[in-house]
Amino acid sequence: MSQASVAAGRGLPEYVTRRPGGFYRSVNPSTKLAIAALEVVAAFAVPGWPVPIAILAVVVATAVAARRLRGLVVVALAASPIIGSILLVNLFLLPGASDPIVRLGPLAPTWSGLWFGLQTVLRLFAFSAAITLVYLTTAIDDLLADLARRGLGRRAVFVVGAAVQMVPRTVERAAEIVDAQRARGLDTEGRFWRRARGVLPLAAPVVFGALTEVEERTMALEARAFSAPGRQTRLRVPVDGAMDRALRWAAIVALVAVVGLRIVGKLG
Amino acid sequence: MTAKHSAEPKLPAPAAPLDPPAPSIQFEAVSFAYPDGTQALVDVSLRIAPGESVAIVGQNGSGKSTLVRHLNGLLRPTSGRVLLDGLDVRGVHVARLAERVGLAFQNPDRQLFAGRVSAEIAFGPRNLGVRGAALDERVSRALDAVGLSAEAASNPYDLGYSRRKLLALASVLAMRTPVLVLDEPTTGQDARGVARVRAVVAAAVGEGRTVVAISHDMRFVAECFRRVVVMGAGRVVLDGAPEVVFAEDAWPALRATYLEPPLPAVAGARLGLGATPTQAVFVAALRRASTKSR
Amino acid sequence: MAIELSAVRYRYAGASKTALGSVDLSVEPGRVLGIVGANESGKSTLCLVAGGLAPRAIGGRLEGSVRIDGADTAAMRSHELAQRCGLLFQNAAAQLSGTTGTVYEEVAFGPCNLGLAVADVIERVWWALGTVGVEDLAPRDPARLSGGQAQLVALASVLALRPRYLILDEPTSELDPAGTALVADALARVARETGAGILLVEHKTDVLARIADDVAVLADGSVALAGPAAEVLADPRLAGFGVEPPARVRLEREVRASGLEWSAALAEAIE
Repeated sequence: MSQASVAAGRGLPEYVTRRPGGFYRSVNPSTKLAIAALEVVAAFAVPGWPVPIAILAVVVATAVAARRLRGLVVVALAASPIIGSILLVNLFLLPGASDPIVRLGPLAPTWSGLWFGLQTVLRLFAFSAAITLVYLTTAIDDLLADLARRGLGRRAVFVVGAAVQMVPRTVERAAEIVDAQRARGLDTEGRFWRRARGVLPLAAPVVFGALTEVEERTMALEARAFSAPGRQTRLRVPVDGAMDRALRWAAIVALVAVVGLRIVGKLG
Repeated sequence: MTAKHSAEPKLPAPAAPLDPPAPSIQFEAVSFAYPDGTQALVDVSLRIAPGESVAIVGQNGSGKSTLVRHLNGLLRPTSGRVLLDGLDVRGVHVARLAERVGLAFQNPDRQLFAGRVSAEIAFGPRNLGVRGAALDERVSRALDAVGLSAEAASNPYDLGYSRRKLLALASVLAMRTPVLVLDEPTTGQDARGVARVRAVVAAAVGEGRTVVAISHDMRFVAECFRRVVVMGAGRVVLDGAPEVVFAEDAWPALRATYLEPPLPAVAGARLGLGATPTQAVFVAALRRASTKSR
Repeated sequence: MAIELSAVRYRYAGASKTALGSVDLSVEPGRVLGIVGANESGKSTLCLVAGGLAPRAIGGRLEGSVRIDGADTAAMRSHELAQRCGLLFQNAAAQLSGTTGTVYEEVAFGPCNLGLAVADVIERVWWALGTVGVEDLAPRDPARLSGGQAQLVALASVLALRPRYLILDEPTSELDPAGTALVADALARVARETGAGILLVEHKTDVLARIADDVAVLADGSVALAGPAAEVLADPRLAGFGVEPPARVRLEREVRASGLEWSAALAEAIE
């Protein structure tokens, strides 16, 4: 019996039908999205310290249990320059603050600035951690399959998938471009102001390359009947158990409640 | 026995000896592993003399691109040393090495950014400090060498892919580096484009430059290069003149790296004519054999 | 039953000169038609026009008719076109959808787009993978394939739509000799086993010498020479059109030109 008929007799191969395993990784992707949405909104909508701290703690604990803490730390480190500068802006330039910590000539960092800045930093870390956790515990094809099953059109699904794929591909392409320009004498290791001259030779090929590829990829999609009418056949069906549904609805209800309470002004 | 090259267009004699002269290149037990753990080069030791013309061949993934990127410092060995004129290039910035080693990439679209062909070509020499009339002269000579003089004011993306490749080649030629490294210069070219590339290689060799080229085109390799380095799985598998590397006793090693010798070599071996890597050598050997049999 | 181009003229949007000027060509089922010519002679344009993508996807003006099995391509919807005529380009990586985690799902992409039943999808995927000879690549990540493998997977994913015709624009140009041989053999097998008609644009005339039945030479947007592959590839006018003849042809020509006799032993030696 040929491999083909054996396979057809067996159905879809296991590498297509396998479900993700592991703590939090096996949770339905849309549920994870709903939870992240709740975390993100609550981190900013609820004033005070306890809620952002609690959210950050929950996300970190989940990451540890799902063995994805390292990825979280990497993103936190990558985000810290931006977040750190927000702290500095608040520290020195909070409008209406009049309780300086110390005077350094024209600069006067204030206690209220520090307080508010730290709180903002905490919220931002909670926000980015929540989003990163979804990214770290969800395979893109499972997410796409779930979105497709919930009725998201094939074009939207493709756009999401392609956008996510585009990041590593663009990074790879950018690395090649940097190499090519360095080989022509562009200085990327020397003094900063010389390096600043290199923006156009580095940015332009990335953009042009992405644009030319769009046309080719569009034609390739059409060549695979992407515009055919009707429903796409789904091979990958992500799990959506009772617990997943319950969690998802709880998260959505809580999200609506938080937003509602905030609008009505009941959150203090 | 020297390899004979098929007739190349006559070139003007070089105006002056190469300045700075081509360096000697040495790989000393160079190994290289990518960050994800792939071992791309394993204990490679090679010496390339000033002015040599070397072709690097091998299957995709055999380490060819990795090897040549060590020549201009884009990659640094994880162990071993790369020496230019006896000096370790380890601490030298890529931008400095670009004064001596010019590398033309396989995919021209990874470098094109200027709105005009002439500006694109001027980028390299400008980075090396060339200005004014000298810069203009370099640009126009480079355009001439690849046959794109008529397109000096065109937008690079108005040229087809094969001419963009020639443009990328010109932009490296304009840097006038003593070492010229070409990554797959003939893929995607039609017959005229290939002839241009061959002329460029011949001119560079004639000027005393060291020319290193990665290629899949065994005919181009056998006819234009004096030395062939065959790579397989990160190691040097064969290294010698074309008549040695494409000779019958080397075929098993060649085929183990999924390469085939060029047709003249195969035909010559079948007819017992000895090592005939190129058409010209084959015909000469055939003539000798037929006059002998008279 | 063929892809028939009749009196086709095509001009790109905003271009001053025609890219194709009065081309008459046909691609027959089960036969491989090789297209050669200098760069910018219109070969890629021919692929887009014959495959129905020009002017549909890229604009421009088309005169004359392009018919697939008698039906005008202009009247077809793009998914109908995809099931009659598959298109493949040079850059394999750009042709993979980029949204699938396994080669299996990549090849299933087309049939799934058509909404076929799962059992039919499975059958088509294995058939396509088997015809191209890449069943063992099925569990692999499409983003991690070599150039030759990616090109074969792209071929399989287009085949999964069971087109009667395939149009390929320099599919081997970025591949090493091993990858080139894989793709060439796969194409020959597809033509033989499925009866598909293949239009193959190639610089590597050695490949065409091996697998093409007929060859047409394009120069300045029109067909300058056409006929059986062996004849056209040995035609002395080929070099004038910017096309390098196959190695065998060149060797024989050189031997004869130097006044030596071309014996049967020689002919055998270059087989």
